[in-house]
Amino acid sequence: MTTPTTRLPFTARRRALLLGGAGLAVAPALLRGRPAQAAPAIGQPAPAFSAQDSNGRTQTLEALRGKLVVLEWTNHECPFVQKHYRSSNMQTLQREVTGAGAAWLSVISSAPGEQGFVTPAQANELSSSRQAVPTAVLLDPEGNVGRAYGAQTTPHMYVIGADGRLLYMGGIDSIASTNLADLEKATPYFRNAFRAVAEGKPVQQAVTRPYGCSVKYAA
Amino acid sequence: MRLAWTRIALPTLAGLLALLLSPGGAGAIESTAQQSPRATVTLVSEAAAVAPGESFRIGLRQRLAPHWHTYWTNPGDAGTPPEIALTLPEGVTSGEIAWPGPDRLPFGPLVNFGYENEIVLPMTVTVPPTAQPGRTLPIEARASWLVCERECIPEEGSFRIEVPVEATGTPAGGEIAAAFAAADARRPVPSPWPSRLGSEGEALVLAVEGEDITPAAVKGAFFFPAAWGAVEHAAPQALQVENGRLTLSLARGQALDASAPLAGLLAVSDGTGQTRWLELAPRLGPLPAGGGAGAAALALPFWQAALFAFLGGLILNLMPCVFPVLAIKATAVARMSGGALRQVRLSGLFYTIGVLVAFTALAALLLAVRASGAAVGWGFQFQSPVFVTLMVWLLLAIGLNLSGVFEVGQSLSGTGQSLATQQGHGGSFFTGLLAVVVATPCTAPFMGAAIGTALAAPPALALALFLAMGLGLALPYALLGIFPRIARTLPRPGAWMLRLRQGMAFPMYASAAWLVWVLVQQTGELGVLVALAGGVLIGLAAWLYGIAQHSGGRALFSRGAAALALAGTLALLPQLRHAAAPGAQAASTSGAEPFTAARLAALRAEGKPVFVNMTAAWCITCKVNERAALATAGVQAALAQNGITYLRGDWTNQDPQITEFLRGFGRDGLPFYVFFPAGKRDPVVLPPVLTESIVTAELTRNVSTP
Repeated sequence: MTTPTTRLPFTARRRALLLGGAGLAVAPALLRGRPAQAAPAIGQPAPAFSAQDSNGRTQTLEALRGKLVVLEWTNHECPFVQKHYRSSNMQTLQREVTGAGAAWLSVISSAPGEQGFVTPAQANELSSSRQAVPTAVLLDPEGNVGRAYGAQTTPHMYVIGADGRLLYMGGIDSIASTNLADLEKATPYFRNAFRAVAEGKPVQQAVTRPYGCSVKYAA
Repeated sequence: MRLAWTRIALPTLAGLLALLLSPGGAGAIESTAQQSPRATVTLVSEAAAVAPGESFRIGLRQRLAPHWHTYWTNPGDAGTPPEIALTLPEGVTSGEIAWPGPDRLPFGPLVNFGYENEIVLPMTVTVPPTAQPGRTLPIEARASWLVCERECIPEEGSFRIEVPVEATGTPAGGEIAAAFAAADARRPVPSPWPSRLGSEGEALVLAVEGEDITPAAVKGAFFFPAAWGAVEHAAPQALQVENGRLTLSLARGQALDASAPLAGLLAVSDGTGQTRWLELAPRLGPLPAGGGAGAAALALPFWQAALFAFLGGLILNLMPCVFPVLAIKATAVARMSGGALRQVRLSGLFYTIGVLVAFTALAALLLAVRASGAAVGWGFQFQSPVFVTLMVWLLLAIGLNLSGVFEVGQSLSGTGQSLATQQGHGGSFFTGLLAVVVATPCTAPFMGAAIGTALAAPPALALALFLAMGLGLALPYALLGIFPRIARTLPRPGAWMLRLRQGMAFPMYASAAWLVWVLVQQTGELGVLVALAGGVLIGLAAWLYGIAQHSGGRALFSRGAAALALAGTLALLPQLRHAAAPGAQAASTSGAEPFTAARLAALRAEGKPVFVNMTAAWCITCKVNERAALATAGVQAALAQNGITYLRGDWTNQDPQITEFLRGFGRDGLPFYVFFPAGKRDPVVLPPVLTESIVTAELTRNVSTP
């Protein structure tokens, strides 16, 4: 094989070339700006958070490392949320998730005075009256957690792996309606994603369209 | 029903006339309203009466309280569009909702797309020709809609209208006509201007071009994507308008499908506050080398492509690809030593002509083959084993000639002096040809984009670009022709010229050996046997021919035997047809997987990072890059640590998938490297000459970005 002899003399030539022509070709690629991306991305570490829950404890993502974590954005006055609580669909999912040893955090990002804003006592009262069984209800009246996750709607669902990486974000299912009858027909995106994660399988649809009421952030 | 009737009919004379003209007053073209403090909703007909066989429009008419809104088909960040289910008489058909252009409705950090005040969502209904005049068409609708201010209330209603059938149709008047007219003012129209979608870093760039686009005529613009996922709804869209062109910067969404067109409406506002909604669906174009701004998907302008072509040709002189020819050129330059100025001048001229002729011929051939529909690319000649074999033999013959085994067109009595003066200009011309044929398969920096532009351009422009490339390649030598005194700086003629010439035979042998290695991958063992057997016969022919030249006489026997050996060599060529390419090459190099479009698509769908290396055994630059950059520990570690899949496409033989892939990036030659970062972000094209640091920087920079 004589190819190496044809290659070797050119290493030096290539160096010289890089300083010249190729350098010009490379420069634009290096100059291209990369604005920081605020939105969370699948496979990347989920945004860290620290927020008070309805029992006055501080919940952080860091402390939940090692467990699967589900985030549910909620607003009890939103008709889309009501569809899933009145049908017990949400409570059933909460029991499945917490029963599997994962943590379920319901997050309320409604600002004071906005629809869905609750005091800690009201939050606990809602859970008991609706027989909801989240691990905790996070109160996020300033919208910090919501904005970090880019939560847009209630409901808006996220699944975070035991290693802290984001594995799912999007809708609870595929039909954007307030009609209870649609629950049967819809593809349960969130449930499919959680079950895949729990079984250690890849999530088929890791990003789906969230639907519901807009999160009532502080203006 | 009676109430509604009166309200519609009274306001205008036209409405009154319509009422009077309808027989028996047996129709109701606006239903009773479903009313709430937020919304008053009815079903309306645009026709006061319809004729058999006609089409007319009905619509869901929504009158909303101040600050309340309903939604467009893509509601934006939240909400949901109205749904309507019609019940129609036998034989009557209806179309989908023709959604009027929406407004942008910001809410905190979110943005919704929808309508305020009043809107009609029209649908077209077609009456069968068999409909009986004098009857009415009952049309029923069940509708549900979400009406929101800061909070959202789902509402629903059932509606019924009865549209009279008459011999000739009558339009509705008054308030209903005005309501449809208001919705029609928002009716989207196909864009009169072509649009393109490029990308710039994280952003998408929508570029729209049209002669009547001016800063005065376009005061505002917003793009409403038809569906969720492609574009972040709430992100600001920076607008730039210049004469003939506007660009809008869009933030890519969480689920952009780069292979699907981006359908949506571009709302353009003029100076008087009038807004038009234009339908467009541009496809995301590839990122060109050097990552242009808004013009991402646009081809290079001609002058720029020509400049790049020229520079590319010039730099080609320094690429490893051109190595075999450098030796010939060095020999040729040495011949100039002591030559007459005129000789030097002509030699440079003929070399340049040779290069240009070869470029023109190659480009014409390439364009012709492509016009016939074959998927071939730059350097395609090396994909033919027959061509490679002929090149092996040609390089071997040139080597034997340089070694002094035989001479071309003269007896061997010449010395260095005679070599300088007696070598014909045909030699220079031939050297030029050879330079192009051997050297062009590899692309130099600047050449990639220029070749891509050239092959997409009309043939005349394409040939002009290839000529520019040829001029660049020939330039160093052409300078000798223009300034022949440069040759005077060479040492005086002497024995050194003979030594140099003999020494230069070895690069020829090396190149021939390399091409045999290429053949191994193209044809397997049989091809190599053919090439080597032919090589032996070439050697024999050269030796016999040399003997004939030495003998001084006519030496008919030697010459005849040489010709016979040569003929025997060529007779071997058809054997190559039986030589099959060896099976899919083992992914030997550095943990690479073989490239397939399907595999790439699958990985991209999962959002995994992928590095693609397009290579060929005949592309020396590719091989140098693989050895000097890609195979290094640093690059291998960067690939492994960041979970990057390394796909390696082998273009040694023709492969339409690879040709297609290259064309997707506006390229037609090798080397070509592209990195697809994780999370479906834009591919990044790497330069054609790599170093370890260039590659690792690109791989890690793109992965570490959150």
